[in-house]
Amino acid sequence: MNEMNESPLASLKPSPWSSPYLRFVLFGLLAASLPLLSGSGLMKSSTLNYIGNVLVYAVAALGLNLLLGYAGLISLGTAGFMGLGSYIAAYAVKDMGLSFWAALTAAVLIPTLIGLLIGLISLRIEGIYLAIATLCVSEILLKSFEQADSITGGMQGKSVSYPVIFGHTFNRSSTYILLVVALTLVMILTHNFVSGQKGRALHAMRGSEVAAQAMGVNLLQYRLIAFSLATAYAALSGALYVFFIKFSYPSVWNLNLSLYVLAAVVIGGLRSIYGTIIGTFVVWAVPDLVLKKLPVVGGINGLPYIFNGILIILVVMFAPQGISGLWQAKFPLKRKKKEKEEAISGKKEDE
Amino acid sequence: MNNELGTVLQLFMRSLETGSVYSLAALGVIIVYRTSNIVHFAQGSLGMFNTFVVTYVFLSFRLPLWASTLCGVAAAVGTGFLVDFLIIRHTKKVSPLAKQIISLGLIRVLLGLAPLLFGVDPLSLPRFLRSGDFNLGGASISHNAVLNISLGLVLMGVLFYVLQRTKMGLAVRTTASNEPVARLMGVPTRRVTLAAWALAGVLGCLSGVMIAPTTTVTTSLMDAVQVNALFGCVLGGFQTFYGPVLGAYIIGVGRNFLVYYVSSIWGEQIMYLLILIFLIFRPNGLIGKKFVKKV
Repeated sequence: MNEMNESPLASLKPSPWSSPYLRFVLFGLLAASLPLLSGSGLMKSSTLNYIGNVLVYAVAALGLNLLLGYAGLISLGTAGFMGLGSYIAAYAVKDMGLSFWAALTAAVLIPTLIGLLIGLISLRIEGIYLAIATLCVSEILLKSFEQADSITGGMQGKSVSYPVIFGHTFNRSSTYILLVVALTLVMILTHNFVSGQKGRALHAMRGSEVAAQAMGVNLLQYRLIAFSLATAYAALSGALYVFFIKFSYPSVWNLNLSLYVLAAVVIGGLRSIYGTIIGTFVVWAVPDLVLKKLPVVGGINGLPYIFNGILIILVVMFAPQGISGLWQAKFPLKRKKKEKEEAISGKKEDE
Repeated sequence: MNNELGTVLQLFMRSLETGSVYSLAALGVIIVYRTSNIVHFAQGSLGMFNTFVVTYVFLSFRLPLWASTLCGVAAAVGTGFLVDFLIIRHTKKVSPLAKQIISLGLIRVLLGLAPLLFGVDPLSLPRFLRSGDFNLGGASISHNAVLNISLGLVLMGVLFYVLQRTKMGLAVRTTASNEPVARLMGVPTRRVTLAAWALAGVLGCLSGVMIAPTTTVTTSLMDAVQVNALFGCVLGGFQTFYGPVLGAYIIGVGRNFLVYYVSSIWGEQIMYLLILIFLIFRPNGLIGKKFVKKV
């Protein structure tokens, strides 16, 4: 900010606010300041849990957005991979006594390998068949969570304590900060990935596979990249979930969860990082944080969820481009607006 | 040897019973998919909701089960109409992907509505025929199982007759093959979609009533049915109406035999794995035609 005042040429330089990284960090700082609010009693302590949930699911939703928005590939396997990540993290820390970082690495790497396999399958199976094939993988994992008692604790679920990092035992607030840091890093990573050469290749692939291939995009390579990234995000999200919630039950990781993640992505808007986070907020936090506070609606148990369902349907019906689409329609990019104005004034001169 | 045959027969009949439940649900999914291009993820939830209606009527008004089921069927027609009338009709311009989210919103509404109307306690629904077994070559099969199997088969037979041999069925098939052209040709596609949603609701309700006696009526009653109906659809292929039904029966039979003969713990996972492997070799399902991609 200071630079702007110092130099007369500053107005020609891009304002530091236009740096996406700064905005990501700012977003992170803002989210990280919430425990202070809850500590000082301005915010209910349970609110932090809901926001933490949003942060966790946002990581998985960003992964699915990469896959669906950029690569145009659909997956209903998110829940299975989240579950796998959570159980591996819990098992590694609790039963094998590994450190937090080792557990996190294992929890992300192992599901990613399975994600690679699905990437291979995706070359053969397309569209709705691919979606249900990934659901098939998810169901195999879910059934295994229920059966493999010795590792997953079966139906009773698996519990862990808050993570211990560098000899420092975390509590709820510091684990929450950990979630914020993880989400911010994932946002930056996603931004870098999609604005780079690989992101452009995925864009091309979604538009036309044949054209992309003609321009030298290796379909196999990029499908593998897209699926492994989406899976890695989902697994990371699952691992974060188990460290924040401290429990993992098989019943959590079912088809409905995958559908909710998909809904968050579509509601937020494809190919939008902030949109995805808003979408996640609408799906997971709005019923408990907003709708329960309303006078009549919130009083009756179950009604907030009904309204949330209706809200989801309404968003899809009236804003098919998602919330980020609405935003762009209302506040179009400045450059585009300028071009439009020029075009209009140009027309007038012609007349 | 005789005993062995009896076990196989008993397993087979039980599989047919599970298969009828899955295939009724799968038929609902495919009819909605073909007429309104929505993968009906809420098929299970709609079925769950209407099974709750049946159970509620049965327990509160003490009507006989068949009368309660009729009430449930009526409710299913009503909910199907409502969904199409209020939502699906207005989504012609919505992108295909966003359309799928609608069924998800429906799931959330139904999951909230069911406990609100019918309470949170798990309810139980009896079987149509409470007792009685047939003895067939060493296998004992309950009268109720036979009723379920034949109900599934008869219903399927009637539906396929209607689809293939009547004017109404022709309207459904033309809508399924190309909706805009069908509309131009004077097919009342709106009524077809309306009927498709109602029919899917009824099929879901019936599969719910069939599966309810084996467990309790809760909001998760139809989760397994929903998943297996979807798997039946990919196994059979989305291009025909009878493919998913066939796929659902295959899953019902395959699952029970794998669980009994291979492993009671891993049987189901092996079945799903086999479906995946099958899909790699036939990406469009059993009866799927090859989809020609245009450049």
